[in-house]
This record gives sequence, structure tokens and C-alpha cells, in this order.
Amino acid sequence: MANMAELIIETRDLVKKFGNFTAVDHLSLEVPAGSIYGFVGPNGAGKTTTMRMLTTLTRPTSGQAWVNGYSVTEEPRAVRRAIGYMPDEFGVYDDMRVWEYLDFFAACYDIPEIERKKLIDDLLALVDLSHRRDDMVDKLSRGMKQRLSLARTLAHDPSVLILDEPASGLDPRARIEIRELLVELARMGKTIFFSTHILADVSEICSHIGIVEAGQIIAQGSMDDMRAQIQPHREITVTLRDQEAVETVKSLIGSVEGVVGVNEMEPRAGRYRLRIDYTGDDEGVAELNRTISGAGIAILGFAEETKDLESMFMRVTKGIVT
Amino acid sequence: MAEAALYSQITETDGVAGVALETAARVLRRGALLHALLAGLMLIFALLASTRLVPSLYDLAQQLFLLSYGGASDAALAIVIIFSLVNISALLVIMVSVLAREIWALPGLLVLALANAAVLLVLGYTPALITVIVGAWALVRLLRAPNVLRVNPVMMRELRGRMRGARAFVVMSIYLALMSGFALLLYVIFSTASSLNASAATGQIGRVLFAGVVGIELLLIIFIAPSFTSGAITGERERQTYDLLRTTLLATPSFITGKLESSLGYVLLLLFAAIPLQSLAFLFGGVTETEVILAFLILTITAVTFGTFGIYFSATQPRTLAASVRTYGTIAAWAFIIPLVIGFIVNIIQAGVFGNANAPNAPGLEALLQYVNLLLTSTNPFATAIQTQRLLVEQQVIGLYSVTLASDGSTIPMISPWVVFATLYQAIAAILIVLTIRRTQQVDVNS
Ligand SMILES: Nc1ncnc2c1ncn2[C@@H]1O[C@H](COP(=O)(O)OP(=O)(O)O)[C@@H](O)[C@H]1O
Ligand SMILES: [Mg+2]
Repeated sequence: MANMAELIIETRDLVKKFGNFTAVDHLSLEVPAGSIYGFVGPNGAGKTTTMRMLTTLTRPTSGQAWVNGYSVTEEPRAVRRAIGYMPDEFGVYDDMRVWEYLDFFAACYDIPEIERKKLIDDLLALVDLSHRRDDMVDKLSRGMKQRLSLARTLAHDPSVLILDEPASGLDPRARIEIRELLVELARMGKTIFFSTHILADVSEICSHIGIVEAGQIIAQGSMDDMRAQIQPHREITVTLRDQEAVETVKSLIGSVEGVVGVNEMEPRAGRYRLRIDYTGDDEGVAELNRTISGAGIAILGFAEETKDLESMFMRVTKGIVT
Repeated sequence: MAEAALYSQITETDGVAGVALETAARVLRRGALLHALLAGLMLIFALLASTRLVPSLYDLAQQLFLLSYGGASDAALAIVIIFSLVNISALLVIMVSVLAREIWALPGLLVLALANAAVLLVLGYTPALITVIVGAWALVRLLRAPNVLRVNPVMMRELRGRMRGARAFVVMSIYLALMSGFALLLYVIFSTASSLNASAATGQIGRVLFAGVVGIELLLIIFIAPSFTSGAITGERERQTYDLLRTTLLATPSFITGKLESSLGYVLLLLFAAIPLQSLAFLFGGVTETEVILAFLILTITAVTFGTFGIYFSATQPRTLAASVRTYGTIAAWAFIIPLVIGFIVNIIQAGVFGNANAPNAPGLEALLQYVNLLLTSTNPFATAIQTQRLLVEQQVIGLYSVTLASDGSTIPMISPWVVFATLYQAIAAILIVLTIRRTQQVDVNS
């Protein structure tokens, strides 16, 4: 168990059933300390339920989970001390000022009154809300509320933040602000475990990712590993002038090592296109290009499709969506 | 075993401070348990003695537990039972306040121990020693672990919110306006009536005004107090703030007491605000300070106990609406419907057995029916207030008095209903607070 110390969140065969319905199905997570871990999956995949088990709000039906080395069922208070949790709904006390909101939660974490004033100032500065200190909470915009929420999760200096859909429902600008804040917090040494169904969030900032579908983990690991694992071959589209050139290229490279498929695509605007599935490296791609042009064929276009997370996600979840 | 059932889960603290809190709480609840055993023993004594099986038990109880009391020995037994019940409730409430880390736990303990010491000196109430010892023990334990007690954050938050803006002011204004309007109406009606009938004294105007104001205040309080508390926990669930609180280190006892303090604090403010209105009756005479004090006591205890009904159902129900319905339903059943029905049956028996000329000589049954009537009166704050005032005005009775039985001319001890009411209601409140905490923890664990 050499990597035990490095995992700040770990679950083993975590199961949560609501009646006959299995919301979380033998889920095993590994979140390394210091990572920004994106917990990705469509709505209803069981992300919130998993997070509620990790935050001691719901008891697992079976299986185990540890946060910071503490079992969520055996030592819930130690777990609560270690986590900052932001649920998908912003809990509104409509009758409070911004500083009172933070002061209240800091008090709930047993932070003595003399330390709270400075703490609140620091937290507000961090999330850039110092100028709204004395405003009523319900007067804040959604993005500001989300940042205030984030400040609240930091009140007791937890080592891991568990954030449920922190960017959902935000306008693009607010979403970017939250993203930047998360990166900043990771730099401060916090582990960030957040759920999302928006892939852009993940590809921009995550160091690790876990894909969940129908309560099961389908794939997880560091972003680099995931890319390599999910994207074993590249797609190259070659654009040519006429059907004859197409046939020539087909016969020319069909037998080159690493080429696993050459398919004609629908001609577009009088141009003929070929898609080459290739498993080789960059050098091989250049060699392909040289081979084609060396045969005297005019290449109108030679482009490699960079597969984005979207298609990787679609590919991985394919077949499990019912 | 009863101890385990009531408290097995209640503690939720950790560290050195947590150990101190738990030790203090454990000592206090052992004290409450001892008093409960004593009260149970006294009830058995009373049963055995009143059925004349072992009449000397009255004297034994007096010699053991109320040794300096000069009154009748059956009255002494009643006093011992009442003191025990008050001690149980006080110890339970202070135990909860210790677990909730309330700063007032210290003065609370001190006052309770001193009061018991005083009763021990004056009346020779020896069981006071339990409370004194247990209280001192807990006090020392708490003082040795500094900084564990603090101002309740939930109470602070609630009070800040409640006192801000117009709502608190509007509720207070409507409440005072309703009562003033009612008092004015009473005055107009009564003074027109009495100008026709010159014999009516101004003292009577004063008394009617006072009774009217206290009556309407009681009615308002019965509606207001539970309305504040029945949304206390369900409201947090509905606003989705409850989960936030549960992931903090806030312990359930702190949460519950904070909610109770803030809502009952506000209700207490309403009661204080109405005192000037009650005191108007002084202008007309006919009302004594004793009546004002007893009325305030009955009002406060009603507010507190019905408030705890509200918070109990708020802990057990998923929605505020369901909690409110159950709270008011239970209050109606407990204070109105059940006593009315039983009272009706008791009256039929009374009329059937003792109502005719050749009434049987059954002093035991007659005494029992008298006590049942007392108990029924004491379940309803209105009946309690009316009966207490009648005893006060007609017989100048505040506490104990004796009633002569028609059957054989013997006398039995009786107590003014406010004493039974206060004892009963505060015991219910204390138990409900403990149960609310337990139920909240259970719901949380099982969610
Ligand atoms: N308290 C509950 N009772 C019954 N079903 C629930 C409950 N909470 C969640 N579910 C179901 O569990 C599934 C997973 O929900 P959730 O964890 O909220 O998914 P996600 O957060 O990934 O969108 C959903 O189908 C949801 O309907
Ligand atoms: Mg969700």
C-alpha cells in the first residue's frame, strides 16, 4: 500500500441503493493528494450521491470510503474537519450579510471569535468579494454566491475541497473566474475534487479525471494517461482533387505499417477526401505525407484531427448509456 | 437501561474539551436519574399510603426527605415529588446545555445548586444533596477545561436575522395591537354595563381587564411559540442549508439549543412587552402582584413547552407544513381534547356516585377523583390560570391547601393547579428537548 499516503480520497466498492435502485454501484475512486480531480458524468450518474457519502451526509449501503485516511463511517468528525463541501445548491440564509455568513460558518467550525475577523477579510480577498462585505447575501449574483460558497468551504483550512458542480448555471465569465480560483487553490496545496458534466471544465484545469456512468467508474487516472489510453490512434484527413488520386493514394498507403484503415469520405465542394486511421508517431505521419506527395499526387489538404475530450467521452461512455 | 435508551448517542464532541463535556454531562444525567428513582419511589409510597395499606409511609417519607417541614406528612410527600421533578428537568436541561457548550451552563449550574442548598437548609429536603454534589462536580469539571463553553453560533445567527428588517417589528406590533384592542373592547363593554349597574366596583373592572388581557395573550402565545419552532429544522432542510451545517463541526445539541434559544427568546420579548398592558389593570385596582407574577409564569412555561412541541416535530417531520400540523394537533389533543373528554367522564362518575342524597361513603374514590380533576386542570394553561386565580382571590391560596371530603369529613392535601402545571410542563419540555436531539441524530445517521 505504498500509495495509500498519497491518496486523499479513496473508496472501495462503494454502493448506495435507494430502495431497489442502485445509484452508486461498486465505485472505487482514487484521488491523489494535491490533484485537481474532475468527476465527470452525465446527470443522474451518481456524482452527487458519491459526494454525499464522502461528506458523511449519507451512509453507504456497502463498501468503504476514506478521506484523509479517516473512514467516513467510523470517524465522521475527523472527515468533516478535513473537507470543505460545496453542494450543488447554494444554501441561502436570505437574512444575512456576506461577512455574517462567513462568520457563522467559521463559528460552527469552532474558530474563536478573535481570529474570525481577520479570517473573513482574508477569505473575502481571496475570492474577490471584499467590496461586498456588508451586502446581503441574497443580493449577490449567482457567480458571487458561488465564490462566497467557496470561501465558506475554506473557513477551517481543510485539506480537500469537495465541490458539486461548482460551475453549473454560471455565465461564461463567472465560470472562468471559478476555474481560475480552483487553480489558485490547488496552488495553495488544496486537493480539489469536483463534479461536472461540462467537459470543458475538465480539459482546462484537471490533473486527474474519473468518468462515471450509471453509478460505475468507467475510466480514471491522470489526464495524460487518459488521453493515451483512450486515443490509441490518430485520424488524418487528406483532401485530393479527383477520384483517380483517391484510388492511387488508397493503394499506395493501404499497406504501410501502422495504417489501420483508409476510408473515403463524402466529397465536399468538388473535393475528394480520405480518412486515414494511423497508429504511428509524428515521424510516421510526416513519412505518410512524403509518400503521397512523392508519388506526384497534388495534396490539397493534409490535416490531423485532434480528438477533443468530447469525443473521447462519447467513445468511453458508448454502450453503457441505455 | 433507560439511561442508555435516552442518551446513547447524544454526545458529539471530541478532544480534551469533549472529554470534559461528556464527563460533566454524564454526571448530571446520573443526578437526574437518581431524582427520577426517588420520584418513582415516592409515587409508590403515596399509592401504598393513600390506600391506607401502609399509612406510616407518609411519615417515613417526611422524616427521610423533608425533615424540617412542619406541615402535614401527606403534603410533604407531594412537595418531595414536585422538587424531584423540577430537579430532573433542570438537570436534563443543563446537561443538554453542557453538551451544546452553552455559556449559561455555568451560572445555570450554580443557581440550581444554590437553590437546592437553600431548600435543604429551610425545609430539610435531603435529596437536594444529589443535585448539589452532582452540580459541583460538573462545575469543577467544566472549569478545569477552559474555553469549551461559548456563545451559541446558531442563536447569534438567528437573532441577527430575526431582529433585522421589518418582520420582527411587525409581529410585535400586531401582537400588541390585538391585545390593546381587546383590552379596550373589554373596558368599553364592561364600563357601559357597570354604569347601568352602579354596584359594580372598579376593582372588578381591573380584574376583568387583567383576565381578558392574559387570556388573549395566552391564546396568541399558543399560536406564536410553536410557529417559530416548528420550522426550525425543517426550514433548514427546505432551504438546503441543513447539509452545510451537518458537514461542519457543529454538534446537534448546539444546533437544537441555538434554535430554541432564538425562537423562545423572541417569544419572551413579546411577553415582556405585554407586561405594561397587564399592569394597566393596576390602575383600576383589584389585581395583586402575585397574580401578575403567576400569570407571567404560566405564560412563559406555556410558550416554552409548546415551543418544544414544535421543535420536536420539526426534527421528526420532513416538511414545515407537516411539522406544524402535528404540533398544533398534538397541542390541541394534549391541552384541550383529551382533558375535556376525560373530564367529562370524571364528571359523569362524580355526579352518578356522589350527586344524589344517599351518597356512598367512599373517601378513597372521592379523593382520587379530586386529584384527577387537578391533573386535568393542570394540562390546560387556561384552566390552570382560571383555577389558580379563583383559589387566590376566594381563598387566598397560592400553594398547598386542604380539601374536606364529603364522604367522611376527612381532609386531603391539595395544590394550586399552577404548581402541577408548571412541574408537568417543564418536565415535558425537558424530555422533549432530549428526544429532539436524539431524533435529529437518528434521522441524520439514517439518511
Ligand atoms: N434520495 C434519493 N432517493 C432516491 N433516489 C435518489 C436519491 N438521490 C438520488 N437519487 C437517484 O440516484 C441517481 C443518481 O443521482 P445523483 O447522485 O444526484 O446524480 P448526479 O449528481 O450525477 O446527477 C439519480 O437517478 C437520482 O434520481
Ligand atoms: Mg448532481
